[in-house]
Amino acid sequence: MRLTPGTGKGIDLGLVDLFDLDLYTSGDPHAVWDLMRESAPLHHQVLPDGREFWSVTRYDDVCRVLGDHRDFTSERGTVVTHLGVDDVAAGRLMTSTDPPRHTQVRRAIGARLTARAVAPWEDRIRQAVARFLEPALDGGPFDLAERALLLPALVTGPILGIPERDWEELVQLTAMVTAPSDPHFRHGSEAATLAISHHELVTYVTEWVSRRRAAGGEDGSLLDHLMNVRAGDAPLTDEEIALDGYSILLGANVTTPHTVSGTVHALVERPEQFQKAQADPSLVPNLVEEGLRWTSAACNFMRYAVHDTEIAGGTVPARGAVVAWIGSANRDDSQFADPHTFDITRRAAKRHVAFGFGPHFCIGGPLARLTLRVFFEELLQRFASIELDGEPQHLRSFFIAGMTHLPIVAQKRQTP
Amino acid sequence: MELGPRVHQQDGQGKAPEPQAAPSDASVSLAHEISVLWGEYLDGREVGADDDFFALGGNSLIGIKIIDRMLRDYGVELSVRDFYVAQTPARVAELIAQGRPRT
Repeated sequence: MRLTPGTGKGIDLGLVDLFDLDLYTSGDPHAVWDLMRESAPLHHQVLPDGREFWSVTRYDDVCRVLGDHRDFTSERGTVVTHLGVDDVAAGRLMTSTDPPRHTQVRRAIGARLTARAVAPWEDRIRQAVARFLEPALDGGPFDLAERALLLPALVTGPILGIPERDWEELVQLTAMVTAPSDPHFRHGSEAATLAISHHELVTYVTEWVSRRRAAGGEDGSLLDHLMNVRAGDAPLTDEEIALDGYSILLGANVTTPHTVSGTVHALVERPEQFQKAQADPSLVPNLVEEGLRWTSAACNFMRYAVHDTEIAGGTVPARGAVVAWIGSANRDDSQFADPHTFDITRRAAKRHVAFGFGPHFCIGGPLARLTLRVFFEELLQRFASIELDGEPQHLRSFFIAGMTHLPIVAQKRQTP
Repeated sequence: MELGPRVHQQDGQGKAPEPQAAPSDASVSLAHEISVLWGEYLDGREVGADDDFFALGGNSLIGIKIIDRMLRDYGVELSVRDFYVAQTPARVAELIAQGRPRT
């Protein structure tokens, strides 16, 4: 989706359809969210099929919906593509589980994904990033968005324990989950595309686990860790392993590539920011935070109100679905001055909620931060400049803000 | 490695497609059997041969069980993709009929 908004003139919030995929492919959602934050902080929409949902767009409200499980439960599903259909994996899939069970599982799995735990992988990630950037060094056309889909494979594949030959298909499957209507990924109907991708991903993890068990021992990978952790004094069930393994694969694959593409695109459009980062590599960590805020790849997450709940000047009725628009919260001027300015020196950048907020804060966040920092360090060290080589194409999804094509050409840096 | 079971297609590629025959009694009864079988996994509800899997409340966790059951009952390993695109007991019956070893 378009990351720099236009004027937003002529938008009628009563008529806006937040589930209109064209809004994200070729429209201007930021202009819509600006208006929602200003004049309809609790927005209600009924879809033609009768399903309805409420939206919060302000930073504080988004944090509350994401973080307060007593009022807003995750146990009926958290992904908007499933609005109205209770999650069949509730209470077993970690992301669809509330505390206290969530806390037990999260603590056990998360121990391997803290900043300290992932730090030793830095050299390996750097090598993978160098390999990834290599083909762009000859100055020829390079479709960053397309290629970036495979970046998590190179980086996290070995960490997860998944052989490289499987990644291309896994990347295809995870993309189907996030954008079942995008012609790049659709297979039959939207429902069929979602079911196929869920089915094959869960089956993949299940088969991985049985092969691992048959082989015996431990291989030190993250999936192996899932098989061996104890949560609340018992190991995870096979179903929990399959579902959380699926969830980790999904999380690794579908957000990082779009953060990379969106941030590079922002730098391409603003050569002065690119030069600033190049002149002072110590700015890279903050560039990463600003890139996360700017792109907000996970555009929203959903919760359901447990009871009638007052928020944002209105009331969400018991069992009502609430969509917390992360992309909007990250442009709220109560937190971010000149929110639509991409500024790698922004002081408050790290306050973004691109990784979510509260108990379900992205479990892979530290690994993503490490990967993105290394990526931009290597990029800035190798390339003197980057230019667009064609029109970017946006992902057809209201869940993931991303690109399917970002053609670029890069000039090699002569004096590193 | 293969990510999902693939259908064991009998007809070779490149052959001219055979004209579609009208549904035989055998295929009607197979579609009915499959409808009943789906019902078991969909809270025991009544399923018609042309009902849509997703409209019936089907999801991938139910699909995994049904595809597994098809393999046990009919000896046919359905492709995950074909199964969800087929979407109705009648069309899944066709897949089963195609996948069965010819005698």
